[in-house]
Amino acid sequence: MSTFSDASGAIAPLPKARRATGFGGVLPALAFVAIFFIAPVAVLLLRSVLEPVPGLGNYAQLIGSATYLKIFANTFIVSGLVTVISLLIGFPVAWALAIMPGRLTSVIFAILLLSMWTNLLARTYAWMVLLQRTGLINKMLIGMGLIDKPLALVNNLTGVTIGMTYIMLPFIILPLYGVIRKIDPSTLQAAALCGANRWQCLTRVLLPLAMPGMAAGALMVFVMSLGYFVTPSLLGGTANMMLAELIAQFVQSLVNWGMGGAAALVLLVVTLSLYAVQLRFVGNQNPGGR
Amino acid sequence: MLLNFDRLGWWKYILLAITLLTAAFLLLPIVFIAALSFGSSQWLIFPPPGWTFQWYSELFADPRWLESAWTSFKIAVIVTILSVLLGLVTSFGLVRGSFLFRDALKALFLTPMILPVVVLAVALYAFFLRIGLGGTLAGFVISHLVLALPFSILSISSALEGFDKSIEDAAVLCGASPLEAKIRVTLPAISHGLFSAAVFSFLTSWDEVVVAIFMSSPTLQTLPVKVWATLRQDLTPVVAAASTLLILLTILLMALVAVVRKVLKQ
Repeated sequence: MSTFSDASGAIAPLPKARRATGFGGVLPALAFVAIFFIAPVAVLLLRSVLEPVPGLGNYAQLIGSATYLKIFANTFIVSGLVTVISLLIGFPVAWALAIMPGRLTSVIFAILLLSMWTNLLARTYAWMVLLQRTGLINKMLIGMGLIDKPLALVNNLTGVTIGMTYIMLPFIILPLYGVIRKIDPSTLQAAALCGANRWQCLTRVLLPLAMPGMAAGALMVFVMSLGYFVTPSLLGGTANMMLAELIAQFVQSLVNWGMGGAAALVLLVVTLSLYAVQLRFVGNQNPGGR
Repeated sequence: MLLNFDRLGWWKYILLAITLLTAAFLLLPIVFIAALSFGSSQWLIFPPPGWTFQWYSELFADPRWLESAWTSFKIAVIVTILSVLLGLVTSFGLVRGSFLFRDALKALFLTPMILPVVVLAVALYAFFLRIGLGGTLAGFVISHLVLALPFSILSISSALEGFDKSIEDAAVLCGASPLEAKIRVTLPAISHGLFSAAVFSFLTSWDEVVVAIFMSSPTLQTLPVKVWATLRQDLTPVVAAASTLLILLTILLMALVAVVRKVLKQ
């Protein structure tokens, strides 16, 4: 058994021989993760350079085709749009939540958590119905006299962007809320005392201080959007495929493991490098969601 | 002054308006689906011409819906148990142990959280095709466990890090065996972490769609896969009824979490 000293830290521990302890505890999980996570993903990626013939042919095909390039473009454009809109809506909401009186804040937090926890398919289904030609949104817009003919809001990238923004909003509001709450109000008082007006306080004190949180949240939303499968395929329609759906298509309908693996590797590399950027510059944030 | 609500001046009203609109936006689909599930129109017209329980009776009359709900529940329960147990053992090793690459190993255990799920789904699909686990209960459990385990390890590790080990050591000094001290002193002290691990694991499995789409077979599918498959054909209000029940379950679970948190705090 270990001594008291290493728990409290008050007594300097005696120098002892470096010994591995506790490794037995992680062994079952390590074995599980190695067999059912690392190995399958590694094999999939290997197949991208081995099938149908060894080489980089799959990657050349992926980059060389206008169809696939359009899918990459779709994926990045939608993810970028979702990130920017989430940030534009999420910042004022997080700001308000950080300073608003308690009662209203807890109601809005409850709504945020409810929408986050509600089944993803239930939420996506709701948007499929809401955004239809005859759906509530179109009816309301026509009723308000803003448009004469129903807009095509679903089965295109507009639908995907609306649905994805809906899903991502809590993921940007919650971390931003944490960051803004930690800002010391006296820094803003000091700025005001030095003669800054409200606008200057916002752009030169509050926004820069919230920047790490905004960067972390934005990066997380962007990365999650890149790999999303369910919402884009239900709200996007077949003509506007995104990367995750392409991977699924290669494997399920075309049974082309080489191309599927290649597309998966592209997604994986982009995802992991963006996470590396995040870890390097803005510290760790726990992601979640599908 | 920007961080004082009362001294924001007219900016206050802009912030308030954006926040309330966003809250309405977040609530809209949830309320809308619940209302539609009682609407009498097959074509999901809102406001509906009348109100009915028809979609709920269709839902409960179809054995495939009930079957898939039962499958989902079974898988989620098994995944929860395994995830908490494995998470507990692993967390003890990660928090208390000292060995080479400990931090790297922890990062490795958490990677399934950041990996795009579709990559994992496709990879496991290929693997399970080969070893014959595709479309089986074990296949579902394993793949959902890969996704749930990181949440378990994270919750339990952080609870364990917050627990002062000298209390456990004191119990040993007072004559408890090391295992007894762990079970009777440490486990109750980290019960909030175990509870979060269980809730996260259950929800991860219960709500999981992407891996399940690849894992399912004609005879074995989870509730989300059944919803997915139905949605690809048409937007029947039966899905609205199923969705409303799922939303209800979410609210119940949230309430349960709030109550248990309160009890554990005392």
